[in-house]
Parts: sequence; C-alpha cells; structure tokens
Amino acid sequence: MLKITNLVKRYGKFTAVDNLCMEIDEGHIFGFVGANGAGKTTTMKIVAGLLQPTSGEVLVGGIDILSEPRTVKRKIGYMPDFFGVYDDLKVDEYMDFYAGIYGIPYRERRAITDQLLELVDLSHKRDFYVDSLSRGMKQRLCLARSLIHNPSLLILDEPASGLDPRARVEMKCILKELRNMKKTILISSHILSELSEMCTSIGIISQGKMVACGTVDEIMDKLSHSSRIKIKVRDRMEDAIRLLQEQPSIGKIDIADSAIEASFKGDDQVLAEILKRLVTQGIPVVSFTETGESLESVFMHLTEGSEEYDD
Amino acid sequence: MINPILEKDLKTKMRGWRTPVLLSIYLLFLGGVLFLFFLANNQIFVYYTDTAFNPRVAVSAYNVIAMFQFVLLMLIVPAITATAISGERERQTLDLMLCSDISTWSIIIGKLIVSIAHIMLLVVASLPVMGTVFLFGGITFGEIILMFLFYVITALMVASLGIFLSTLFRKNVTAIIATYICLGILALGPVIAFFIWGVFFQRSYNVEITYSLLTAFLFPSPGYGFASFFAGTQSNLFGTIFNEIQHLAEKETNFLRYLKPWMINGLFNIIFSGILISLSAWKLQPVKKRKRKA
Ligand SMILES: Nc1ncnc2c1ncn2[C@@H]1O[C@H](COP(=O)(O)OP(=O)(O)OP(=O)(O)O)[C@@H](O)[C@H]1O
Ligand SMILES: [Mg+2]
Repeated sequence: MLKITNLVKRYGKFTAVDNLCMEIDEGHIFGFVGANGAGKTTTMKIVAGLLQPTSGEVLVGGIDILSEPRTVKRKIGYMPDFFGVYDDLKVDEYMDFYAGIYGIPYRERRAITDQLLELVDLSHKRDFYVDSLSRGMKQRLCLARSLIHNPSLLILDEPASGLDPRARVEMKCILKELRNMKKTILISSHILSELSEMCTSIGIISQGKMVACGTVDEIMDKLSHSSRIKIKVRDRMEDAIRLLQEQPSIGKIDIADSAIEASFKGDDQVLAEILKRLVTQGIPVVSFTETGESLESVFMHLTEGSEEYDD
Repeated sequence: MINPILEKDLKTKMRGWRTPVLLSIYLLFLGGVLFLFFLANNQIFVYYTDTAFNPRVAVSAYNVIAMFQFVLLMLIVPAITATAISGERERQTLDLMLCSDISTWSIIIGKLIVSIAHIMLLVVASLPVMGTVFLFGGITFGEIILMFLFYVITALMVASLGIFLSTLFRKNVTAIIATYICLGILALGPVIAFFIWGVFFQRSYNVEITYSLLTAFLFPSPGYGFASFFAGTQSNLFGTIFNEIQHLAEKETNFLRYLKPWMINGLFNIIFSGILISLSAWKLQPVKKRKRKA
C-alpha cells in the first residue's frame, strides 16, 4: 500500500529525513516511533503530499506521489499533529465543508457525516460550534474529517497527543474500529507502549534514520539478549556491586531504592552462574529477578544519543 | 457544485458581526462626507431662502463621494483579501485543504470571489448615498454604472494582489502591509516616474505631452483610470489633473482616442489580476509535479 524508498529531506544543510525506507502492506497498522525532532512529521507530510522531498520515492498503491499528487491524495486521509479549526462553523458544517473540498456530492454528504460522527462519538454535538468542543473532541472531529472521502491509507500524526488518559483510551477504541474497517494506517507517537498493542509493525526513527523496523515481536527479539536484572540484598551491597562489576555479561549498574539494577547480556545459564557466585560469596540475596525489557527501554536504547526524550 | 471555499466563507462572513459593522461604518463615513460637503457649501439650510439649489455643487459632491469611495475601497480591499491564505496558514487549516485533492486554482478562485462579493456588498449598499447626488442631476445613470464597473475591476486587481502576497507571506500582518506598499507603488510610482521624466527630459527636448505619452506612463495607476469619472470643474489640484487627462484624451488623433483612461487601466488590471492569480495558484502548490519517468 505504501512504499517509501530512500527518502531524503534536507532543510539547508540539516537533514531531517535521511535515506528512509519502509513498506506497509494493505490492512496493516504501522507504528512510527521516535523522539522529538526525529523526523516523523516531516516523513508524514511528504507522504501526504504537503512537502517536497529532496530525493527519494513515495508510492501509494503503486502510484508515485510526485507524478500524480491528486490521484494519490484521494487515497490518503491525513491528520496533522497540530491543526486549527474554523471556530465560526458548527460541527456538521465543518464536515460539510471538507466534504465539499473533496468534491463529494451534496446528497451523499449527510449520510457520510452521520456515519463518521457516529464513529467518533460526536453525533450529539453536531449542532455545536467547533470552538466549543474540548480538545479531545476536536481531535476526534479532525479524525472524522480525515475519513470523509473514505481513504484507504490513513496518516495519523500523534492522534493521542495532549489527551488525558480517558480520551486516549477512546481514541484507541476508534483506531481499533478503523483497523476492523481494513484501513492501512501509519500512526506516529513518541510513546511506544501506546502503539505496541494495536500495531502490526513498528518502525523506530532516530535523527531521520530508521534504526529498527519490523513486527512488534521482531523488534523485541532484536534486543532480547539485553535485559535488566534486579537484585535485592539484605546487606553487603558494596561487595555485591564489586562482584557484579567483575562479570563481563553485566553492563551498567544502578542503585534504585536499595536494590541493584544492572543491564545484562546473555542467556539463563549465565544468569544462574551470577546468582551462584553471589550466594557462594556469602552475600545475603533477598531477591533476584530478571525484569525483561519494556518497549520503552528498547526505544531508549535504540535512540540513545538522540535528543532528549520527553512526554 | 458551488466552490466549497466560497460557500463556507460567505456563510461565516455573513454570520459574524464584522460584516454589518464594516458596512455601517462605511456607509456612515460616506454619508458623513456628503453631509459635510453640503454643509460647507451652504446647501442644506438654504432651501427656504431665495437662493436656488446649485446643480454645480451636486456635481462637485458626486466627485467628492466618488473619489472618497474609491480611496476607501483601496484601503479596505487589502485588509480583507491579504489574509485569505496567510489567515488559513496562521489558523493551521491550510494543510487540511492542501492535503485534499482540490486544486490550488479552486482555492484561490474561491477566496477571490468571496473578497469580490464582500466588496460588491459595500459598493451596492452605497448606491443610495450615490443616489442622493444623482437626484440633484448633473450625472447620468450610465456614468454611475460605468464607474461601478471600474470599481469592481480595480477591486479585482487589488484583491488579486492581496491574495498573491498572502500566499507569499506567512503572517497576516506582513501580507497586509506588503499589499498596501505594493498598491502605493502601483498608484503613485507611475506618477512619480512621469514627473521625474518631465523634469529631466521633457524640458531639454521640449516634447509635447500627448495622451499616448501620458498613457504610456500612467496606465498602471488606478488614479489614472479614475480620471475618466471625474466630472465638472478644475476647482482643485485633482480636478485640474483629471480634467487635463480628459482634455488630452479628446485631442488624441490615433487609435488611442477610442480608449478612455478607465478602459486602458481596466484592461491592465484584468491582465495583471490574471497573472497574479496564476502565480498564486502555482505558489500554493505544496509539491511541484514531477514528470513520470520514461
Ligand atoms: N521548516 C523547517 N525548517 C527547518 N527545519 C525543520 C523544518 N521543519 C522541521 N525541521 C526540523 O526537522 C527535524 C524533524 O522534525 P519533525 O517535525 O519531523 O520531528 P518529529 O519527529 O515530528 O518530532 P515531534 O515528536 O516533536 O513531533 C527537526 O529537527 C526540525 O527542527
Ligand atoms: Mg511531529
């Protein structure tokens, strides 16, 4: 459905997107993750036909976005990260306006608007001014707007940003419904866990480069040899740390609330060996757990050295 | 199907408080000017005295009103058109339009028609004010209609200029100021160029000023086109200049004598608008189309 090859976008000397490649099959949901300034929005804008790429090719359903932009734009629904609304329009007038923009005939508009407002749960607000909606509602309205011409590819740039937890859950439900409607979706976020439940595949972008790309499981696998262990000791913490530092399989060691946390590379056998050493040295180990690595920390690991991560 | 941008903007413009307020201020202003003019010429309280109403004053009043309205339009049109695109950009709604398959032509034309409609509203609403002058005689109905046609053509040019600069500049304020500056250059530039030419060349070669010569210099200036609609006497500086232009036009012998200043300027305005509109539509395209590889 979407195929990006060697996409490059430069702003002067600064390279915002650097030789990016990716492919999304029909009906798949691709989660696009990266820190602030990684180049997610830039990539999405290029795909939506709003930004001229420096080089590279973007094919949507096999059609080049640069050779037939209007044909491609009919297939794409785009929801930007920041958007405005016409505050002097009512909700249904707002939908009507964008239906007009996409050239949908008058007689079909009413039914489409009804259906979409139902989907995003805004039917009860159709006679309200857009200005009077809450942020979450505006975001849902914008999502409904991006669906008005029944696109097959959806590009959603951080659709859940700035929403409270409840609104996030609601947004997630809508996205699940869209998945059931067999839409191909490219969705970005800087919160990986948010995407991991619903996406079929994930791409991690850092400083304009795709650093990891694959199904959620593949991404986890890539770093499965690296995990964290948490050791609680009753006493002799210094000795325990000294012993751990001697182990080649142990990486960085931190102390968090009277427990030792360390990154670890290796399999179970090595892990058992470490525990045995600690015990034979007479260190009073209270607990010894492998915490595994969350998607968050995979993300942190992969984007190391890039800009600050925040949410 | 009606242009969706036209449909929406007309709906919201008429709904807001801005349009009625603008319209009221505009009419009050024109009416006020007219009232002051009659007052200054002692024509309001003289009905019951033996002095008869002076039709010459009515013609002068028409001149004053026509000129005031023309200048007012020049001041209002940039303010309502130069925000057309930059306003959408500032409101962050432009991308939502550009990511659809609507052509940038439709966007520009939609915005342009809204602006023209807005201006037409002002002009048409002022008809009663102009009508008062008309009642006193001295001016024909045809002249007023022609003048309105000229107003609309001029407004089209200024609106295109405003929209073009609004696609060029990201901020409303910058776009509005740029439009005023460009309009100022367009209106006064030719006149200044003509004077400079007059001082340096006309003196030394002793060239006679003819209509074609004047036209060659002044054709882009809206003021030059307006000269056609100046009626009456050489009572002041403007009157003198406008009368002189009309006088020269009558003396012209070649084909130009068939073309009045307003026609020449109007033609220029239409062509210039066409260029500006095409440029705006081109500039608004977010990505430039690539020819398919062979
Ligand atoms: N118009 C521009 N001119 C110059 N640099 C730009 C421009 N737009 C974006 N950039 C730069 O490109 C980089 C990528 O920006 P982009 O908006 O794509 O990041 P992002 O991944 O969407 O980040 P966020 O999570 O904050 O939304 C940033 O470093 C940004 O400063
Ligand atoms: Mg972004």
